[in-house]
Amino acid sequence: MATIEVQRQLLPILDSPNQGARFYNPELPSSEPFVPGHRTCAGCGPSIQYRMTSKAAGDNTILVGPTGCMYVANSSYLCTPYNVPWAHTQIGSAGSFTAGVAAAYEAMIRKGKWKGKFPNIICEAGDGSASDIGLASISGALYRNHDCLIICYDNEQYANTGIQASSRTPYGGMTTFSPPGPEVPEGKKLYPKDLARMMAAGHPHCYVATASVGYPIDLMNKVRKGLNHKGAAYLMIYTPCQKGFVYETPRSIDLGRLVVECGLYPMWEWNPEKREFNYSFRPASMRPVSEYLKLQGRFGHLHAEHIANLQKFANEQWKMMGVQLPEALIQAADAKNLTNMAAAAEAQAVAQTL
Amino acid sequence: MPMLAEQKKRTVRINGCVASAQAAKYADVDVIAAYPIRPYTATMMALAQMVANGELDAEYIVADSEHSQLSIAHGASSSGARVFTGSSGVGVQFAYELYSPISGSRMPVQMMIADRTLDPPGDFGSEHTDALSTRDMGWIMGWSCDAQEAFDNHLIAYRIGEDPRVLLPQMVCQDGFFVSHITGDVELPDSGQVKEFLPPYKHPYPLDPRHPVSHGPQIMPEQGPPLQLERARAMEQSMAVIEEVHEEFAKIFGRKYDPWVEEFMTDDAEVVFFLQGAHAVTARFAIQHMRERGLKVGMVRLRTIRPYPTDRVKDVLSKFKVVGVIETNMGLGSVSSGGVLYAEAAAALYESQKRPLILSFMAGMGGEAIVLKEFYWMTEKMLDAQRRGKIEKRTHWVGFEE
Repeated sequence: MATIEVQRQLLPILDSPNQGARFYNPELPSSEPFVPGHRTCAGCGPSIQYRMTSKAAGDNTILVGPTGCMYVANSSYLCTPYNVPWAHTQIGSAGSFTAGVAAAYEAMIRKGKWKGKFPNIICEAGDGSASDIGLASISGALYRNHDCLIICYDNEQYANTGIQASSRTPYGGMTTFSPPGPEVPEGKKLYPKDLARMMAAGHPHCYVATASVGYPIDLMNKVRKGLNHKGAAYLMIYTPCQKGFVYETPRSIDLGRLVVECGLYPMWEWNPEKREFNYSFRPASMRPVSEYLKLQGRFGHLHAEHIANLQKFANEQWKMMGVQLPEALIQAADAKNLTNMAAAAEAQAVAQTL
Repeated sequence: MPMLAEQKKRTVRINGCVASAQAAKYADVDVIAAYPIRPYTATMMALAQMVANGELDAEYIVADSEHSQLSIAHGASSSGARVFTGSSGVGVQFAYELYSPISGSRMPVQMMIADRTLDPPGDFGSEHTDALSTRDMGWIMGWSCDAQEAFDNHLIAYRIGEDPRVLLPQMVCQDGFFVSHITGDVELPDSGQVKEFLPPYKHPYPLDPRHPVSHGPQIMPEQGPPLQLERARAMEQSMAVIEEVHEEFAKIFGRKYDPWVEEFMTDDAEVVFFLQGAHAVTARFAIQHMRERGLKVGMVRLRTIRPYPTDRVKDVLSKFKVVGVIETNMGLGSVSSGGVLYAEAAAALYESQKRPLILSFMAGMGGEAIVLKEFYWMTEKMLDAQRRGKIEKRTHWVGFEE
C-alpha cells in the first residue's frame, strides 16, 4: 500500500548550565499555548506546570485533560485558556484517549488525510488519574508506545473534589480521607506509590523522568526530551497545591525546590536507549524534611516520630540517588534527636551545598 | 486506499463477525480499538488479519480494557479519524462511562456488538440486555438478523452517524452466535459502490493544531439544558437522515430495508410477534407453518430502536388484535415484569385509538434458542387473549408454563 512517511518535530534543548541552581534563560520560547483567564487558585502549582509544559511544546500541539482540578478550573464553557486544541476526557481515560489521538494522527498522516508534521500530543493527568483510576490506561499507552507524552501533574491528592488522599499522598499528609485523630495521629499511614519508577520499570522503552515546578528549565527540557523521543514518554511533575497543602501562596516555587532539597522528590531520568537511570541531578542544598514540612498546614499535626519516619524515607531516596548522607540527616531520622529540627538554627547546621 | 479500488462485487459465505470486519474494511477505517471478549472477538481477529495482510491500512490497537477501547475510539474520532470498535456482554458495560461523553461530544464512533448475556453466570449466549442497557446514552442503535444485514447496517450506520446533521455514535448490534457465528451468503459490494455511498469522514471541529478548539469543557448548570436539548434534537433529526440514507443504500446496493420495522405476513394478520434480532429468522418459519394451519399470525421486527420510531410502531402495531413481544432482554422489576421492548411498545401505543392487547414473552434468555414449538405456544397464548378479548397475565416465561 502506498503510504506517506510521517514527519516528526524536533524541539531544541534549552541551555541550563546548572540545573540545580536558580537560572534565568532569556531564550525561552515566546509562544503561550496556555494563557491567563482561567479559574485556578493563586499560586496553583499545576497551572504553573501547564504553562511551562505548553510553552516548551509550542503551537503544533494537542492537549488532553482527564477530569481533575485542571479540567474544572481551566475549562469553563464558553471560555478557554488553551490556544491549542484541547479535549477533556474521563479521569480513567488519560492514556487511552491520548492513544486514540496519537493513533488517529499516525493513520491520517500516513493515509494522506492530514498534512503536516506529527503534532505533540500531551496528556496532563492529575495524580489521582495517573496513579489510581487511569493507571491501566496510561500503562497501556506507554506499553504500546504511541508517540505521545503523558504527564502526571502530581499535587499528591484529589484536589478537585476537595482534597482526598490518592496513592501519591505522602505519609503523614492530611486530607479529608486521611484526617488525623487520636487513633490515627499521623493521618495518612501509607507511603506514596513509586509511580514514575513503576512506569520506567514496566515500560523501559519509554523516556521517563521526574521534575518539579521549582526547576522550570529542567522541567521544560524534560518535556522536550519526552516529545522528541519517538514513542511514548512519561513525566511525573511535582506541582504544589496551596488549597490542599495549606501554605502561603507565593511559596509554590519554593516548595518545588524544597521538596527536592529535602530528598522527598528525587529528580531523575530513565534513559531508554541505555536502559539506565540518570541520578546526576543535584539540588543546590540538602535539607532536613522538617524544612519542607513546616511550611505546610497538611503536616501541622505530625509528632516527632512521624517527622523522623519521613526523614527515614527521604534518606532512603538519597541513598537511591547515590548521595552520601550527612551525619545530621542520619541523626534526624531518629525521633529523639528531632525535637528542634524545625528551628531555623538547627536546619542551618545541616543545610549544605552539594 | 488502492486495495479497495480493486474489489469487485462478489458473494462469499461468512458469519456475522466476519461480515462486520468486512464492512469496517470497506469503510476504510483509520483506527480500530480491540479487546477480546466472546463472541464479538472474531470480528477483531478478522480485522487483525486484514491489517497483517496489508488489505487494510489502519492503526490496530489492542486496548487494555473495554473502557480504554471506547476512550481510544473517542480520542481518535475527536481527531478526525474514522473509528471502529466493538464488544459483547459485560464488556459493553465495562465501557459504560464513555457512552454519554462520546455522544455528548458528537463523535460518530461506531461500535459493533455481538450480544452476550450479562453475568452471572458466565454465559456466552445472546441476550440483548448488554447493548440495551446503554440505549438512552445517545447512540443510534439497531439490530440485524443475519450476516448480510449486519454488513449493510455497518455501512448505513457510518453514513448516518457521520452526516453533519447528525454526528452521533452508532451501535450496530447482532445476536451473538445466532448471527455472529452462523454463516450465510453475503454479497460484498464493488468498492466503487461504497465510495459512492460513504464519503470520507470529516468532522467539523476536530482536534487540529491549525484550528484550535476545546472539546468538553465544564459547564454551569444553566448551560446544561441547551446542550442536552441539542443532543436530543440531533437524535430526533437523525430520523429523517436515517430514512434518506436507507433509500440511498437501496439505490446503490439494490437491497431495500425499511429503516424501522420489517413486517412479515402482516397484511391480514390478527396477532403478531414483535421482536428484534436473529429470532426473526425462526419466527418466519414458524409463521409460515402456522399460516398453513390457517392461523392469522405475522411478525413485526424492530430494526432501529434508537431513535425509537414511536409513530411507526404505533401505526403498525395498531393494526393488530394482539401483539406478543419477544424480549430476549431482562428488565428485572420493570413494567409488568416484562422487558425493554414491552415497556416501549406499550408506551408508543398509548396514544393510539386502536390499542392491541400486549403480552410480554420472556424467551431466549441466556442465549437459549427459541424453537418452533415455542413460537406455536406463544401464538396459542396470543390467540387465547384474542378470543377472551383481555389479558389474564401480561408476562409469560416461555418454557416455564403450561
